Amino acid sequence: MNKEVESFLKEFIEVLRECEKFCFMSRGKEFQQEAVKKLTTFKQKVTSLKEQMIKIKDEDSANTMLSLENLIDAMINELKMWIALKEDKPNKAWDFLINAQFAVRTAAQAHSIAIDLNAEGYANKLHLLEKLLFPPQMFFSPSLIIEKAKCSICGKEYGECEHIVGKAYMGKMCYKIITKIKEMKVSIVKEPANKHARMLQFTDEGITRDFMTWRRIEKR
Amino acid sequence: MLKVSHYIDVRKRAQELGCNIPTSIALLPRNFEISASKEELIHESTTPTVRVLWRQNGITETPLEQPEEKFPFVSEHAFEWIGPTIFIPAMLLSQNPHLVTIALNVISNYLTEWFRGIPRDSRKAKLRIITETKSGLYKKIEYEGPPDGLKDLPEVIREVHNE
Repeated sequence: MNKEVESFLKEFIEVLRECEKFCFMSRGKEFQQEAVKKLTTFKQKVTSLKEQMIKIKDEDSANTMLSLENLIDAMINELKMWIALKEDKPNKAWDFLINAQFAVRTAAQAHSIAIDLNAEGYANKLHLLEKLLFPPQMFFSPSLIIEKAKCSICGKEYGECEHIVGKAYMGKMCYKIITKIKEMKVSIVKEPANKHARMLQFTDEGITRDFMTWRRIEKR
Repeated sequence: MLKVSHYIDVRKRAQELGCNIPTSIALLPRNFEISASKEELIHESTTPTVRVLWRQNGITETPLEQPEEKFPFVSEHAFEWIGPTIFIPAMLLSQNPHLVTIALNVISNYLTEWFRGIPRDSRKAKLRIITETKSGLYKKIEYEGPPDGLKDLPEVIREVHNE
């Protein structure tokens, strides 16, 4: 590992430990807001070091920094979730939680450093929070017939280059960019890939309710 | 979960549809059995990824597509990883059984990394294998379960082949 990244890692662990202690419901909102600010500023440092590693073409270090960047994102989103719950904004809180889960996954896929820093344990915690804090959700999942998709790394047609979805290349994750769709269907599923796509409200016997809060939504 | 059932004659079907006839390991479209024409064939969205993984590991497949031809892909955006249908001809099993093990290990290793950051209980992969028995019948093996279970499939394939 690059020496600069190695020494930065110590600072990273310290900052994360310091902010981690506010990732609980009972902690004061003001401390959680402060921790979000601290992590957001610290993230800029991580991004800047990542860019530096990309410049010197040190792929392993660039991917390490990408992983750390996402671990910070996960913690920022978890803290924002706790704040949103205290502000009685459960729909927003849900989105922050899903963002946090996605960021942990990206961190774990980008580099094994995240596994060494207990990303798997963190992912389990976020999964448990989903089950404990929120009612079961109803998700929508699109089914697409894709005619063309390109690689996010090199722009070539996906499958014709050597990049693979879910892997990191020089500080960037590879994913497919869909450019031509033939057909699309939407179905209701229990385990979707994207947990942001969910039912927000429902109407029963003329009463419309928010699916998350159960509060009545008055017709405008 | 493992399920073994009968399957149609792959070579005959490929010929009927005007596709390349597989002589080596091949990736079959999802609707290969029931498609009315070649124009309706659809690959799983994971097919190009498996192709790249195999290419990088020196595994040569027979594409069903003619040169310059492309089948669309279906993407269901489900949480599980839905792999392509893999055709393993009898000749490959008798002449180069290690290749089958490598081909499946490559996918299994990729999935170990793919599922990182997801709780272990939620990691689910689906894969279908079509193989030939010594008596010339075609069999479909459907796997659904944790990704590391794919490593046990070569043994199952050999058992089905020897039936």
